[in-house]
Amino acid sequence: MAESCAWLLVLGSVLLCNIVKALLPSVSSFLCRVLQKDAEQETQMRFEIQCMRQELATISMMDEFARYARLERKINKMTDKLKTHVKSRTAQLAKIKWVVNIVFYVLQATLMISLIWKYYADPVTVVPSKWIAPLERLVAFPSGIAGGVGITCWLVVCNKVVALLLQAFG
Amino acid sequence: MEQTEQSMPNVSEEKGNLSASKRRAEIRRRKLLMNSEERMKRITSCNKGDAAGHALNSEQHSEPRVPVQLDKPESLTSSGLSKRLTVYSDEDTKTTAGLTNHQGHLDDFQGTPICDSRNSMGDVLDGNNDSPGELRIRPRSEMSIDGTQRSPRRGLHQYLSRFDEAMNLRTQLINEKPAPESSPGNEELDAFRIFRLMGSVILAVVVRMFVCKYLCIFAPFLTLQLAYMGLYKYFPKGEKKIKTTVLTAALLLSGIPSEVINRSMDTYSKMGDVFTDLCVYFFTFIITHEMLVILGSETPS
Repeated sequence: MAESCAWLLVLGSVLLCNIVKALLPSVSSFLCRVLQKDAEQETQMRFEIQCMRQELATISMMDEFARYARLERKINKMTDKLKTHVKSRTAQLAKIKWVVNIVFYVLQATLMISLIWKYYADPVTVVPSKWIAPLERLVAFPSGIAGGVGITCWLVVCNKVVALLLQAFG
Repeated sequence: MEQTEQSMPNVSEEKGNLSASKRRAEIRRRKLLMNSEERMKRITSCNKGDAAGHALNSEQHSEPRVPVQLDKPESLTSSGLSKRLTVYSDEDTKTTAGLTNHQGHLDDFQGTPICDSRNSMGDVLDGNNDSPGELRIRPRSEMSIDGTQRSPRRGLHQYLSRFDEAMNLRTQLINEKPAPESSPGNEELDAFRIFRLMGSVILAVVVRMFVCKYLCIFAPFLTLQLAYMGLYKYFPKGEKKIKTTVLTAALLLSGIPSEVINRSMDTYSKMGDVFTDLCVYFFTFIITHEMLVILGSETPS
């Protein structure tokens, strides 16, 4: 039973990898939201700046210059602070995305290598060799069993079909 | 009488002094009046005239049998000047002054002032050079000079046109949305493509049910591909979006004609389509086979 389900296991792995790959941006943004808890502070700062700007609009520059200048300086200071904050957050976001991508690719590579290792000598499924007559060696690679479908061939086929399906339904 | 005799040379000296001073003053005035742009124009116009004029001068003084020796200073001056002009064209008058100085140096190198060479060319054209042999030789040397000037110009034009093409491609690439890496064939699933895929799926199921006992599974697939080739023209052809990749841009820049690249890309995409069909066909065949085996309706012989 385990042997007969090898093709399904490989197919499932490929499907899973492709789905996770498609969901990677969402995963990274979710992780960012979880890890970056100072987003609220940023929102607060934005709100404050907006309030101060509204206040600035009500002040006459000629009548109350000192107050106007003080408020303007305050707004500038807050804006600079916000800019620095946003910059650092963006850098952190890029770093998180990069780490997530790297982790995913490492995991995918590990999974594929382990699958190939496991089914190196055994075919994922077997059909009568005359059915795939001129190409049986190619299809059976690297197992070398006549009529068998090798892991490489099956991986290639699965990847192509899953990509097509995701393209059609995604 | 002596007084008159003495006074005559004095007057002539004074006149000479006056004329000399006037001339100098005139030159100074002209120099002051001439702004940088005029100077630049003067330099460039002289430079253009200089190419022909200097060549003709050199012809006058040397034999036409050794054109290589004649060409050397010519190429030196023209290339040097053109380089300087291109480098300093956008800069201010300071650099223009530098250019004029450089011009002066070049003139020293040549031994004749730039505009003198032009004048000498004018003299030659006016017919001061009486020997008919010179007149016969001139076009040949001019042609050789033109040839030496044209080939770099042509190359420059070619380079510029390719550069424009590359810039267009770059803008296209920027305007296009970046394709995700996961989907290698990111083309839209048009009607013919869907038809192909569906046909491959149906054929795989049919082959597994009825045909594979008697025939290799790839034979019906090849037949189907032949049928697709025939049916291709009956399907509406959507506007094929020309994919501009970095590879295409690189090939275009390396001098390969765009037609060849388009044909190659077309062939490549067709091969990709056939491969996709084969994958879908084989996948469906194996899935159907496994389903039949699991259901126990049929065991492979």
